Amino acid sequence: MTILLQGFEGPLFDWSWVRSHLTSEIIPALVGHVYLSFVSVAIALVISLPTGVLVARYRKAYAPVTLVTGVLYTIPSLALFAILVVVPGVGVGPKAVIIALVAYSLLVLIRNVVAGIDSVPPETIDAARGMGLTEGQILLKVELPLALPVIIAGIRIATVTVIGIATIGAYIAGGGLGALIFDGIDRSFPTMVITGAILATALAVATDLLLLGIEHYFRPWARAAGRRG
Amino acid sequence: MIEFREVSKLYPGSRSAAVKDLSFEVPDGEICVLVGPSGCGKTTSMRMINRLIEPSSGEILIDGEPNTSMSGTELRRKIGYAIQQIGLFPHRTIAGNIATVPQLLGWSKERIRKRVDELLEMVGLDPGDYRDRYPSELSGGQQQRVGVARAMAADPPIMLMDEPFGTVDPITRERLQDEFLKIQQEIRKTIVFVTHDIDEAIKMGDRIAIMEQGGVLAQYDTPENILTSPASDFVASFVGEDRILKRLSLSRVSEMELESAEGAGKDLPRIKGDPTVRDALSQLVGAGVEAAVVERAGERKLLTLRAIEETLGNRRGRT
Repeated sequence: MTILLQGFEGPLFDWSWVRSHLTSEIIPALVGHVYLSFVSVAIALVISLPTGVLVARYRKAYAPVTLVTGVLYTIPSLALFAILVVVPGVGVGPKAVIIALVAYSLLVLIRNVVAGIDSVPPETIDAARGMGLTEGQILLKVELPLALPVIIAGIRIATVTVIGIATIGAYIAGGGLGALIFDGIDRSFPTMVITGAILATALAVATDLLLLGIEHYFRPWARAAGRRG
Repeated sequence: MIEFREVSKLYPGSRSAAVKDLSFEVPDGEICVLVGPSGCGKTTSMRMINRLIEPSSGEILIDGEPNTSMSGTELRRKIGYAIQQIGLFPHRTIAGNIATVPQLLGWSKERIRKRVDELLEMVGLDPGDYRDRYPSELSGGQQQRVGVARAMAADPPIMLMDEPFGTVDPITRERLQDEFLKIQQEIRKTIVFVTHDIDEAIKMGDRIAIMEQGGVLAQYDTPENILTSPASDFVASFVGEDRILKRLSLSRVSEMELESAEGAGKDLPRIKGDPTVRDALSQLVGAGVEAAVVERAGERKLLTLRAIEETLGNRRGRT
């Protein structure tokens, strides 16, 4: 920060700036960040759920799917943004950021959907089939509900990762809390950098806890297991 | 009635058949036990009845209709299914588990609720206490009771049970077997029951199908006939050298014709209750005597080694 904020003089954190820019800059940046992260994870989930279910069924597809999403996952985020902005029809802005964030989420989400379905005891599925549930009913009423904790664990990891990477999206005009950070660096004004960083971290922690609560809510049977004497 | 007609199953990639030319009939209201060493195809045979496995050749008729006359799922909803690992749904309550098939069949909520409570009572679990619990809160024996209740939920005329009492301790298992036999006396289902345990087969079966390696039916008969006249060396060795004793465990002292003990020595030991003939013999041998007194409806009767021998003779004569 000392290098980035060269020539800076004055207090490290200026509360009066926070007060005067709360509604004009800080809250819109936070809302923008929530939007970027939420939309990205939602889109990634829409892709990952069916893909994961298919891969869990057709095992041969697991290696290639992991390879492709794994390669996407390892591309440095700044490089991926740079590539995306020159793609026709994408360009600078939130669209490129969302595409990149979706790409980063796929590996974790797909892997957890598959792991979740794998964790369902085979005898439970055998019993379900033996009682006359159709394949669709087995998936919706048995496999997915039982896989839910593992899937939500994946969503938690993906969301926290995405909230972090989304800050870099401001570099290509994606908006969000990264805009505060980049602006602060440009203007050698640490208050903006610190505000953006703290809010991004707080958002990640809060979302993680929220998802943990949701997971708990959807698993009454796990709570019951704790009651067994 | 369930009828196997020259049913064979050859798994792809396997050279030898899992089940070979299997033909036998299970009459209505009887328990037919499929028993044999592991790999004899007994579970495969059972799973072909509700088409969890499709036979490679031959057909299976249920009440005269081939079991392929309706869809697999439709067929399975009409046949109760209970397995060793139970496979309760961990995310559903006990009531939810038992209600599985009735829900699939579209029963009303009220009817399902009544049926669930009725079944819980039948298998000896207090509905008020267990209805809303989750499987993880139950002991192994309780879970197996729920598994059996779930299989009976929609009152199917046929039930398939694959070692349904397999995962509990011997004492609990014996109790579950006794309770189930009592329930069966009332409900009179046609049951195909798989086990590897010949003692369980003898206890539970109205008929026993002994299968050997390669999915071949070695003998199909009543427990008594199998014990009296095993059809092959394999059956004889599978049943065990103690088959005479096993036969004695099929009947109880109260079923024997005994002479009055009036006038007999007062120093003879007494046998209490109504044990199986096998247990009574064990008590005689253990006490080192040739006769003991049993009390039946207030009358004192004389149980002798000779009378026990005669039961074996009578049985041989009868079959």
